Amino acid sequence: SIQNKQAQNFDWALNKLDSSVRRTGRITRALLLRIFHDMCRTGYPSSNQALLLLRSCGSLLPEVPLCERTELAHMIWGKLQDLGAVYDASHYNALLKVYLQNEHKFSPTEFLSKMEEANVQPNRVTYQRLIAAYCNEGDIEGASKILGFMKMKELPITEAVFSSLVTGHARTGDMENAENILSVMRDAGIEPGPDTYLALLNAYAEKGDINNIKQILEKVEKMEGNFMDRDLMQVIFSLAKAGYPQYVQDIMSHMRYERGYIPDAMNLTLNLITQGLEDTAFQIFKSFPSLLSENHSESSMDYGNFFLRHCVTTDKPLSKLKQFCDELKEANMHSSPLQFTLYCALESKKADLAINLMKTMKEEGLPLRPHYCWPLLVGYQKEKNVQGTIGVLKAMHELGVEPDVETYTNYVLTNFDDIQTFRALLQENDCPFETEGLSVAELRHEAIYGTLENVLSLCKYHQFSVILVECFLLFFSTEAVGYFLYNLIDSMSDSEVQAKEEHLRQYFHQLKKMNVVIPTNIYRGIHNLLDIYHVPELIKVCGYINTELGVSALEEELEKLKAEKQPIGNVLKQLIVALCAEENMQKALEVKAKYEPDMVVGGYAALINLCCRHDNVEDAMNLKEEVFRKDSSVALDTNKYLALVQVLGKHGRLEDAINILKEMKEKDIPIKDTTVTFFFHILNAAAMRGGVETVNRLHESILMLGLAKPSTNLCSPLITVHLEKDDVPAALEATIDCYKKYGTIPRLHDILCRLIEQGNTDLLQKAMDFMSQERGEMTMLYDIFFAFLNTGKYKEAKKIIETPGLRARPARLQWFAEKCIAANQMETLENMVEMTQKLFECDREQMYYYLLKLCSKLTENLLFCSIRNCYSSDSFLFTENISNDWQKADATWTKMQEENVIPRERTLRLLADTLKNNGQEVPFDVDVNALLYATSMQCDIAIVFFFILCVEAYNILLEAQKKYIMFPPSAYSTLIKALLAEGCLEEAIKVKNIAETHIKGFTLNDAASSLLIITQVRRDYLKDAMSTLKTVVESDMVPIPLAVTRLIQALAMKGDLESICAVEKMVENLAASIGLSRMLFVNNTVLAHIKNNNLDMAVEYIEPLFISGMQNPDSPIPSMSYVFRKVIEERLEPALEKLSAMAERLVNQFGVYKPATDLFLQYVDAGRVDDARFLLQRCGGIAEQKKILMAFIAKSSQKPGQIKETRNLFVMKLLDNDLASAKTLFEKVKAANIHTDEIFLKRLAVLLRNAGEPVPFTEPPVSVFSD
Amino acid sequence: MAATRGSSRRVFELFVSRIPWTLTTKELKDYFAQFGTVRKCMLPFDKETGFHKGLCWVGFSSEEGLHNALQKDSHILEGVKLQIRQQKPRSFRSQYADEGVADMS
Repeated sequence: SIQNKQAQNFDWALNKLDSSVRRTGRITRALLLRIFHDMCRTGYPSSNQALLLLRSCGSLLPEVPLCERTELAHMIWGKLQDLGAVYDASHYNALLKVYLQNEHKFSPTEFLSKMEEANVQPNRVTYQRLIAAYCNEGDIEGASKILGFMKMKELPITEAVFSSLVTGHARTGDMENAENILSVMRDAGIEPGPDTYLALLNAYAEKGDINNIKQILEKVEKMEGNFMDRDLMQVIFSLAKAGYPQYVQDIMSHMRYERGYIPDAMNLTLNLITQGLEDTAFQIFKSFPSLLSENHSESSMDYGNFFLRHCVTTDKPLSKLKQFCDELKEANMHSSPLQFTLYCALESKKADLAINLMKTMKEEGLPLRPHYCWPLLVGYQKEKNVQGTIGVLKAMHELGVEPDVETYTNYVLTNFDDIQTFRALLQENDCPFETEGLSVAELRHEAIYGTLENVLSLCKYHQFSVILVECFLLFFSTEAVGYFLYNLIDSMSDSEVQAKEEHLRQYFHQLKKMNVVIPTNIYRGIHNLLDIYHVPELIKVCGYINTELGVSALEEELEKLKAEKQPIGNVLKQLIVALCAEENMQKALEVKAKYEPDMVVGGYAALINLCCRHDNVEDAMNLKEEVFRKDSSVALDTNKYLALVQVLGKHGRLEDAINILKEMKEKDIPIKDTTVTFFFHILNAAAMRGGVETVNRLHESILMLGLAKPSTNLCSPLITVHLEKDDVPAALEATIDCYKKYGTIPRLHDILCRLIEQGNTDLLQKAMDFMSQERGEMTMLYDIFFAFLNTGKYKEAKKIIETPGLRARPARLQWFAEKCIAANQMETLENMVEMTQKLFECDREQMYYYLLKLCSKLTENLLFCSIRNCYSSDSFLFTENISNDWQKADATWTKMQEENVIPRERTLRLLADTLKNNGQEVPFDVDVNALLYATSMQCDIAIVFFFILCVEAYNILLEAQKKYIMFPPSAYSTLIKALLAEGCLEEAIKVKNIAETHIKGFTLNDAASSLLIITQVRRDYLKDAMSTLKTVVESDMVPIPLAVTRLIQALAMKGDLESICAVEKMVENLAASIGLSRMLFVNNTVLAHIKNNNLDMAVEYIEPLFISGMQNPDSPIPSMSYVFRKVIEERLEPALEKLSAMAERLVNQFGVYKPATDLFLQYVDAGRVDDARFLLQRCGGIAEQKKILMAFIAKSSQKPGQIKETRNLFVMKLLDNDLASAKTLFEKVKAANIHTDEIFLKRLAVLLRNAGEPVPFTEPPVSVFSD
Repeated sequence: MAATRGSSRRVFELFVSRIPWTLTTKELKDYFAQFGTVRKCMLPFDKETGFHKGLCWVGFSSEEGLHNALQKDSHILEGVKLQIRQQKPRSFRSQYADEGVADMS
């Protein structure tokens, strides 16, 4: 199977490289590296693959500088060898070829001895290439030595050797001898061919001897020998390189423009540019545009993109680029060369070049736009390079391009923690720092990342302009606008409001124009504020944005207006709307009847809708007729029409419903996507009621009137109606009919499933025939496959999917997989994944991904449930289920390995998440590292995955040890940690011993040691834990605080005072730096005393601490909550009594409230409400300890469930009649950014309302705990 | 009532591709405005690279605008020919409808 896999991979890589070479004559570095990394990832590079890669590191990489190509070759050589590739002569020869192509200087003798060391015999090709290497250096002597070897081994001397000798002599400067080689060849019976002449041509080219070149060319032509274009290109290259570009044109005239000219010429061009000969390159490039038309892949009329791009890559100077651009433009070869060059500069993040290019463009009168700078800013953003960002902004300013809002928001501001600093930096660099763009961006930024306070102060700072309002609306809801307004006005002083009255007035008008209506409670708050500020005019305009006055207020208003004989239309409408909002249909209809002449359209519309909602079809229709009698041109809005259709349909008034649809058409009512959805729901509801005629007629009318286009979804009720009656034959007829009429086949899957369930083979056959006739056999097979799967008929499904010739259809498989995921059909999905194993072209990784996705979803669901039910007895069950699903995820993983499927990144991530969600403490990052590391150490990729399953990993490790395979130290640490996390102490110790005996100087790292301590404590091996800690400290490692804490706590429970002291000494120097509180030792010492039944000792030990603490107000007041909690938990009542007495004493004699308050809260926490109440009665001052109480609320708010609610409720109740304290508490909680839970808000809202104050937040819905 | 507010009406969308990197929303909006009122113009940028992807959705407020734009032979903006085609209205659950296979509802 490994060989098979290798073969497949090889084919794939070969194809990839091959097609690149065939298409373009070259390979890019990126492609080569990608294939290389892929090979490394699979872990088993074959000799073939190695050869393939090595061969690609020479002239196939024209864009890469020569020395880098060789470095690449060496890197690949080394890495693949480490991974187990075995090299033979072909590899060494390929390497030699690469050396020659890259003009790499090396010692041929050393090369030979290396081969000898590796026990690889050099062959003829090896010697030939070594001779060429000597000759390139002009070392005839060296070449002769190799020639001697060849003769000794009786290897034939070929033309290649002679060609090398020509070069060799030429490079010593002896042209005569070079020419002589030709006669030597002839003497040896070998006629000089093109290769030899080419060597000669190159030799003359290097000398700049154009006459001799011409002569040779003529001579060869006369001999009817031919140079290929590619050969001539070599000569051109030699000329250019030797400094004779003036003769290039002479050679060009000999070109025959054969097939394949373009890729070769492109490579020549690129190669020339790479080697700094861009002028000649340009000359070559200009020679081929006429041919290019058949080979343009980039923009339709622009030639030279590859040229410009490579010039940018190789850092050609601006002046050169400008010159090329000008020429391209003049020659009409490129429409926008400067822009393209800029694009390349931006793409490769060459900021200086990009900015200089923009300067040039500006000089040329080309437009510059802010987004030109985004790619640069993105780069700086990623690396958090503030200086770079500012540099770009400065350049933009100098170029006269002002950054717009998008620039700041998306690419700049996220780079700064604080906008003031940013402004200061701008100012320092002479950039404008008060533009509108920046202000708006700032607001947007704050709105997204910041706090409301900042938004408000910004609004105040900039005077709210209309832009800001729009901005706000754009990003938030109208509710947010209301809240914003309230806070804005609240934050202004009397005088400010009065001074800004005009502004605010405009603002309200603006909001009205935008149809913004804010929620009533917020409106009332604003109303009250404005009342306080004495701005009656504003109150009036403010009313614009609130239509939701209370019913009674409106009624009063209405009566008042009526009495004053003023128009009541508007208020009447408001009243109707308000009544509708209260769902008070009876009253609304009465009001309507009473004031009928004054009714306006809006009121009718709301009423009609209300009647529809209440299923009151009679009144709804009457109202509609009534309003149309008043004004026949009136149109309702879409949803109200639809509501009518729905209710009419429901009451069987089909003709009326159809008439409404017709009216919609006549009045050209706008149809949105949601309207179509609504149509679907109307039809579907009718289908569920079983009204075949209703569904058909309505459907037909909708389509005939052109209100919607036929879609599968819209047609599905036509079938549903039959399925609901379990009339499957009619359903099938209907779907076939749908196909004929509309080309859709709705609900086929459901029909097939039903037929299978009913065993109705005749109809099933009919359905299949129909499908295969209309949609082809393949589609039909998939349909039937899915239907079998869905009905649990796996054997039949398997038969179908194994139909010869069937191939994977990713879209169909995806559809079914996602359906399974949506419906939590694990078994079905598992079966599909399994059955498709042999399916041709099936993306296995993708299939397993679906499975993992469902596992992850199920565990998430269960987790969610278990959190919600965390206090119910079911939690155990849930945990068990979760572990089932997590094990399923894990099994999927194992299967993937069996199938040798290499996971994609996202699959790895999904698995990591699933693990984390399941509380599986598996540090996946570490595992990914280990994965890379382990792969590079040439061990099975599977072992790394097994690391997740540490027990398996442990077994593998033992197995590996038997075979003397060693892993990197980090792998051992990871495994030990994983084992410890699972509580497998003995196994962990065993692995540790293996590591220590096999790896010199192996020590557990800090984290693993700490885990070891924790595990030892858990197992009650306290002595061992202490010695582990000792080792950790002595080897200058830092234990995690939790390890020390656990150890100390365990010692305290044993009453082991001595050991506590010893540990305290051990970590003396570390305690502060790792955040170990002194109270840890104090509290546990107290506990140890208590455990030893030494209650007096305990009190004597702790009490002075509080008293002395009081005398030194700077030091933090120690907390002994832990002691209280433990004593309560362990039900050590005598101790509790003693401690309680102490706490009260501290209150009464010294005014120290901390211990008493802590004790009070511990009582609350433990549900000992009566004890808490008594304590509070005895020490009333506890209620004043706001800081401590708040901290408690904040902390417990983070805990899930209702326990926290009752707790907080209890604390809040204490403050019940103290609005001021409650408010300050709320402010503090808010300022500290603590999430306030609903019960807290609800409580506060009640308090505020009772006091007649506005509630400045959205009140949570009433819950059972509200009082 | 019947406050058929502008934003809720159907938008007639044009799909534009092969947009040169130098152009941005403003230029496209200005250009297509000659055919009718442009309600929206969406040219997504890749936040990873800072370049847009060369694709844009231009929404006209009337069918006429869309029609006019489609009528024109070629659209050349700053010397580059843009590709346009009508964006099919994206209907409910269109991902399945577009698949061209039997329904699976």
